[in-house]
Formats: sequence, structure tokens, C-alpha cells
Amino acid sequence: MSDHSLGEFEELILLMVAAHNRQAYGVLILENLEEKLNKKVNISAVHMALKRIEAKGFVESSYGGITNERGGRRKKYYAITALGKKVLDRQYELRTSIYKQIPNISFGQ
Amino acid sequence: MKIQPPKRSLKFLRWFCREDFIEEIEGDLVELFEKRYEWSPAKAKRSFTWSVLKYFRPAFIKSFQKINNSNTTAMFKNYLKVSWRNLKRQPFFTALNTFGLAIGMTGALLISLFLYDELTYDKMFADADRIYRVNIDNKIAGEANKYAAVSGPLAEIMRRDYPHLENLTRFKHTGSRLIRQLEADQNVKEDNVVGADPAFFSMFGFDLILGDKNSALSEAKSLVMTRSAAEKHFGLNDALGQQMLLDNDEVFLVTGIIEDLPDNSFLKDYSLFLSITSFADHDSPAWNNWNFPTFIKLKDGASVPDLQDYLASVKDRYLLPWAMKSFPGLTMESVKEQEASGNYMVFDAIPLTDIHLYSPNLSGDFNLNGDIQDVYILSFIGIFLVLLASVNFMNLSTARSLKRSKEVGIRKTLGSVRSAIIGQFLTEGILVTFLSLVLAIGLASLAMPYFNVLAGKSMTLPFDRPSFWLIVLGASLLLGLFSGSYPAFLMSKFSPLKGLRGGEQTVGGAKTRSLLVIIQFAVSVFLIASTLVVFRQLNFIQGKDLGFQKDQILVLNDVSAVGEQIETFKQEIDRLAKVEHTSLSSYLPTPSDRSGVTYFPEGEVFQASSAIIIDQWHVDFDYVPTLNINLVSGRNFDRDLTTDSLGVILNESAIKMLGKTPEEVLGMRITDDFRNPDEAKMKFYTVIGVVKNFHFETMRNNIDALSLIIGRREANLMMIKLNASDFSETIDQIDALWGELAPGQPFDYYFMDDSFNEVYKAEQRLGSIFITFTTLSIFIACLGLFGLAAFNAERRAKEIGIRKVLGATVTQITLRLSSDFLKLVVIGIIISLPLAWFAMDRWLQDFSYRIEIGWLVFAMAAAVAVLISILTVSHQSMKAALSNPIKSLRSE
Repeated sequence: MSDHSLGEFEELILLMVAAHNRQAYGVLILENLEEKLNKKVNISAVHMALKRIEAKGFVESSYGGITNERGGRRKKYYAITALGKKVLDRQYELRTSIYKQIPNISFGQ
Repeated sequence: MKIQPPKRSLKFLRWFCREDFIEEIEGDLVELFEKRYEWSPAKAKRSFTWSVLKYFRPAFIKSFQKINNSNTTAMFKNYLKVSWRNLKRQPFFTALNTFGLAIGMTGALLISLFLYDELTYDKMFADADRIYRVNIDNKIAGEANKYAAVSGPLAEIMRRDYPHLENLTRFKHTGSRLIRQLEADQNVKEDNVVGADPAFFSMFGFDLILGDKNSALSEAKSLVMTRSAAEKHFGLNDALGQQMLLDNDEVFLVTGIIEDLPDNSFLKDYSLFLSITSFADHDSPAWNNWNFPTFIKLKDGASVPDLQDYLASVKDRYLLPWAMKSFPGLTMESVKEQEASGNYMVFDAIPLTDIHLYSPNLSGDFNLNGDIQDVYILSFIGIFLVLLASVNFMNLSTARSLKRSKEVGIRKTLGSVRSAIIGQFLTEGILVTFLSLVLAIGLASLAMPYFNVLAGKSMTLPFDRPSFWLIVLGASLLLGLFSGSYPAFLMSKFSPLKGLRGGEQTVGGAKTRSLLVIIQFAVSVFLIASTLVVFRQLNFIQGKDLGFQKDQILVLNDVSAVGEQIETFKQEIDRLAKVEHTSLSSYLPTPSDRSGVTYFPEGEVFQASSAIIIDQWHVDFDYVPTLNINLVSGRNFDRDLTTDSLGVILNESAIKMLGKTPEEVLGMRITDDFRNPDEAKMKFYTVIGVVKNFHFETMRNNIDALSLIIGRREANLMMIKLNASDFSETIDQIDALWGELAPGQPFDYYFMDDSFNEVYKAEQRLGSIFITFTTLSIFIACLGLFGLAAFNAERRAKEIGIRKVLGATVTQITLRLSSDFLKLVVIGIIISLPLAWFAMDRWLQDFSYRIEIGWLVFAMAAAVAVLISILTVSHQSMKAALSNPIKSLRSE
């Protein structure tokens, strides 16, 4: 199933993963997102989106080593795939090309 | 200090969350928790729990299929495999278990079919729950009776003024009939013939195969027959419009054919339905003629109390006005007086579906009724059987627990949880049960024909019905779970340490096993004692002096077919060498429907207090000598005395009602002709003799008062007393005479003692059923005991070896081993005997003439139980005692 669609929240998460490539994991993404958006996000929503974009093939994941943190539980790190990057690029191009078509409208400051 | 996230939330998360996500999610949650904990522990906990709840959605929940597919199926397969191996490794115990359970299940299966048949009686008719039969409840001269047939005019009255009536149909019994096609010359006897209304079909929801439902029974002299009756006479195709001759007298037209009637309905075996308008009295206004079984169907939602109220009012509104008009002597005052002395007569109704099980056999019933008591008795026996077999399984399984304790130990050491071990043993229980089920279905198919004879039914195993399989499989599963549960929960408790070390561990097993053996033998002894009582009572009533001789009496049926020449026929038979007496009468001293006649002594006519209601039999001059009835005083009828045509012979019960001694009563004059409007012409009978009481009812009843008068009303039977034991020659001679005088009529005869045995069929059936199931239950109990004894001998092999080495004799050891079990058997006996006494005493209360139970029955029952158990146990004990001690002591 080659579903290349990308929801708004999913796009944000994918951007986060790309921004923190190979260092991105659940809590890190959550904290950065909360900071940027300036609002509370539930960790389950982050995980949900991560699982979805992973299923679509935009990111890949791997376990880190066992540490003393988190009661010995491994972190799962996410990295953007080539496909993921391409989708992000296309999304960016699409938006900027349309954005450029906006005439110079003044809203009367 | 280490901080812990809320335990319960974490446990919940681990329970539902997919394995491949759990580590990541848990890790992230815990990390967040730890960070937030520094701000506010309470908030962190709350937030943790809240997040966990938010994960509870399809994307994160384990898939159900995965659970079933991977581990559980594999485990189940393993359970099955290990169970099978276990069963194979111990063929002896497996066979005992399977066979015992199979026997119990066969019994239960057959009994269930019987109960189903009984409980669905009459339920197949359309709207059976709204159909009622009207009865008459009557007490007169101290004798209460119920009748299943009511006055003829009631039907018309109810149709006219009972608003809740939807349908009503009336029958009239007419007994057996000789029937043939008009042009044929051979008569056939149809035993079950009844007159019926046209409403009969719509009432019970019958469709006609041939003919028109609405008109089939509306004309006089028309009849409807069942499919098999039609096929017997002329085949189905040309049935309509056939002319049939009934009793060589009346011609009836066949106007319809219906399907054969269901075996579990009150109309069972009825084959011929005559239109009710063919009977002269069908529109008679007489209310004292209780000849019409009447069934009514109420409208939806009509209330039964309302119906009963209506029926109760019928007597005052219709019956009494008619009676006072018809009998000039009857007034409102005399009716009141009668009622004040405890006499009554009321109409009431019984639901159709209650008739078979809850109503005794009444005069007017179509077929013999069943008895709810039999249903209860059989249900108990069925449950007992399964319970006995199930107990065997538990006993043998727990007894073998010793052998399995190592297995349990190893399983537990390797990480098996208790539930897995329980699963293992339950699987074994279910497996054995299903093996037994296969065997039981086979056995039941084989036993079905015999059981049908026993139960007087014609049932088959309903293999084609899904509900049958559903119930059978469901019940077997339950039984397997039940039987397996006790061993499973017991053995799963074993400690692995003890199991592996090889120590003894019987956790509470021994005591429970003893209790189970006691229960088994209590049940068996109860059944043995009951069987003995039933058979002794049967012997008693069959062997009791009846007061007349029923042996060597041949009874010829339907002798009215001879017609005018009956007297010649009788004389010809009298002349045969081996015939002692012949007598012509329809009244045989065997139980049947009778109704009393009211007599008044001379000079006291219409004085209610001196009326006696007693049976009146029309007999001939040879009746008393043929049956060899003893006279207490007076004499028999004398052919040469013309006055004897108005003579009467009473029995001892009758003169007791009159309050006279046998000598005083001779010459007394009584009359049953009090309705004669001309009092001067009233017919009086003179008492010429008194006979000793003889039993003409079953031993359940006291001997009723009886009067014999000379008369040939409906004389349809001839009794022939033979004086030789070889009857065939005489019967051939009689047959030849019959052929001459009644050509084309069926020659139908039976021996009186056979018909007498018929009467006690219910008791005999009960006896046979008891003996069958008693045997089964003893057999099952013995199987269990045998298994336990074998196990015990094996377990104590070393002890026996040591005892022998120290000088014990074989007898001592055998006794020692057997006495353990005998103790249990004796306790079982002690418990069950009082119960058996109580139950059988109540059963015997039904008989007016009954045996004393006595201690002998119980001694015998106890002796049988002890003997059988000794035989069962001693074989194993002897084997153990005789074995060479070296063998048992060497093995370590």
C-alpha cells in the first residue's frame, strides 16, 4: 500500500524526526513539539503518529543500548528514510509554489 | 530513592499492549513520569495513568488471533497428546473409566429420551396451551369419582353462552368395532373407534390428506380414517366414497383421510372417527348421560378462573332445572339435603397438556395416562447413574494421583503454572467423556428396542436433529469438566519438591474417595431394596387368592357376531369334551370402566339416606359356577325358577352397605327402577344369595359393592372354563363352530389370567425399569470398587511383602485388604436402608392390599451388596496376597 498522504500532525512529527535525525525518540519529540507549539500534547498521540508514518515507510526505527535510565528500558530511535525526505521535499515545494502565487495583498495595516 | 510509576496502570498496559511496542511505550512513559515526578508526584501519577488509558485503542492492543493461534492451540494440542498417551499407557484404568461412564451415559440418554417423550405429550396440537378438557367431579353415597366425559347438552350450552370460547369439540366413545367394505366378506376389528364433531379438525389443527375439512364429519353415517387404516382396507387412492359396514349393521361413507396420530398424544392409536350425528343420543337433552368427552379451546387471553367459574355455574343454571323437570321426586330441598351430606357434582376443566402426566386414569380417557411420579423416579435414576459413573472417574483418577505426582513435579519445575496443569487434567476428563459418548451412543442404539418394550413406547434416537447433537455434546462437555475438575484441582496443588522426591502425597484424597464409595453403595443398596419391594408386592398381588378362579378360562370376544344363534353356539360348546362351563356376559371380573347403579330397599324408596350405589353386572345362570365364586349364603340363579329373572346376588361389601348379615339379607327386595312414574309397577329384585368378596378391581382399590342380575344386555363376551391343560384341540373345535355360525367374523380370544396380568403392567414396568437400572448402577459401582481395589493392592505391594515375610497368612492379608472396602460398603448400607424404607412405604400406600416390608428385604439387599463387593474386591486382594514377596520387595 503506497499511501503517500501525510496529515498535518504526522507532517510535524516527520519534520521533528528529520530535524533530530537518529536522535529522535518519543519523549524528545514530545518535548520539542510542546515547546514549538506551545501547548500540551499527549505522548500517545506522538506514538500513534510515529507508528503511522513508520508503516507508510517515511521513517525507520532502531533500538538504542540499555542504560540506567528509564528502568533499563531501551529507547527507540527514529530516522527519516529517503522516501520520507522526498515526501517532505514535495510537500515543501508544493506549499511554497502555491504560496508564491499569492498576490501581494495588503490587509491595510 | 527509586520512584515507581503506578503499578496497576503499568500492569494494565502490559496486559493489553502489543509486545513489539511495549518496551518503547513503557520506556517513554516512565521517562516522562520520572521527569514530571520532580514537579509533582501526584500529577505525574495521574498523567501516567491517563496516558496508559489513551493507549487503549486498536492500534496498540494485542491482536486476539495471535493469542489463539500461537500459544493456546499449541498447548491444547499438547494437552491432547499427553492425555492420549496417558490413557494408552494405562489401558486397564482407561477401559474401566470409559466403560463405566459409557454405561452411565447410555442409561441417562435413554431416560432423557423417555422423559422428553412424556413431557411433550399432546403439545404438538395447534394452540395446545389454550385447549382444556371438561371433567365431572362427583361424589355420591360416599364415593368420589372423576369423569373425563360429560353431559351431551353442555357443548350446545357453551357454544351459545360462553363468550371466551374459540372452538369446541365433542367425542363419544364407542369401543371396538367390526368393520369391512360393503362388498367384502371378512370383518376386521378396529380397536380404537370414536365419534367426533366436525370441529375436531380445526380444534386440533389437522389437515386432511383427502376430503374436505369442513364437511367431512358433518353428515350422519360418515367417517374419517387414518392413513394406515385406509391402507389396510383399500389403499389410499380410492378411499374417498367407500362404503363401510360397521358391526354387520350400519353402512358408513368414508369422507376423509387424516395422517396417523402422533404416538405421544391422547389420540394415539385411534384410527376411525365416526360423525357424532350418527349416534342416536347426540342431541339428547339428558344431563345425566356422561358419555361425551368434551374439549374446548379458549380465545387468546381468556382466563382460566373465569372458565372454572362458568363451569361451576352450569349445574345450577341448566342441570338442576332439567333434572327437576325429569324426575318428579327431585326437589330443591332434596338436592340441598344431598349436598349437606357431603355429596357434590361439579364441572371443571383441566389443560390438555396436563392430562397425560397429572390426571389419573378416568372413565372417558382415550388412552392410559402416564404418571408424573414415574417422571420423577426416572429423572432421579438417570441423574444417579451419571453421578455414579462420574464419581468412578474422580475416584480412579485421584487414586492414580501418586503415579502422576512426578509428572506434575516436573511440569511445575519447568515453569508450568497451575492453570496449565488443571487444563491438562480437564482435557483428560473431557477426552474420556467423549470416548464414552461414542460408546454410549452405540450402546443406546443397541438397547433402544429393548428399552421401548420396557417403557411401552416406540422411540428412536433422533440422529437427524441438530438440537439432539447440541444437547448431547454440550452435556458430555459439562460432564467431562465436572468429572475432571476434582482430580484437576487436587493434583495441581501438588508440591513439585515432594513429587520429584517420590514421597506420598494424597491431598485430602483418601477421605473424599471413601465418601464417594459410600455414596455409590448407598445409591445401589437403595435401588436393590426398592427393587425387592416392588417385586414382592407384584408377587403378592398376582398370587393373592382373588376369590374366583381365573385360570383355564378362555374368553371369546365379540360373540354378538353370532347373532340369534348364540344360545345354540353356547350349547354346542358346552357339549365339547374338555369344557366345564360356559357363561355369557360382558362383565368380567377384571378391572375396567364401570358405573354404579342406585338401589333403594323396598319401603324406603327416595330416602337419600338408605340409597346404595353399587355395581350392577348383567350375567347368566352359569356365571357363578364358571368363575367358581363361593357363596356365603343363599344359592345361585336357577334356570328352572322363573322368579329368578328378578333375583339378585350381592357380595359381602354390598350387604355391609345395607347393614345386614348374609342370612338376614336373603329375601330382601331392592329396586333400581325408582324413576318409574307408576310406583305400583316398580320392578323389585329379590336377594337370593350372597357371594364372598372377590377381587375384580386392582389391588390398589378396596373391593367395591356389587350386584349380579340375570340379563343379556350387550353380552359380547363368552367365558369358557376348560378342564385340561392342553387347550389347542378345544380351541380348534371352538374355532370350527365359530366358522359355521359366524362366517367371516374374526375369531378373537384370550386367556383371562393373561388379561389379569395386563392390569399390573404399570407395576411390572416399574419393576423391570428398577431391575434394569439397579443392575446398571451396581455394575458401575463395582467397576469403581474394582479399580480402587486394584490400585490399593498395587500401592500396598511392599507392605504386603513385608507382612508375608513376617509370617502373615494369605487369608489374613486378603481379609485386611478387603475389610477396608467392606467398611465403606457397610456404612453405605446403613445410610440407605432407612431412606429405602421410607420411599417404598410411601409407594405401597397406593395399594389397599399390600405386603409388610419387613426386615428380610433389607437383610437381603444388604447381603447382596456385601456379597457383590466381596466378590469384586477379593479377587484383587487375593492376587496381591498370593504374589511372591520377593518381587515386591526387590523393586526399589
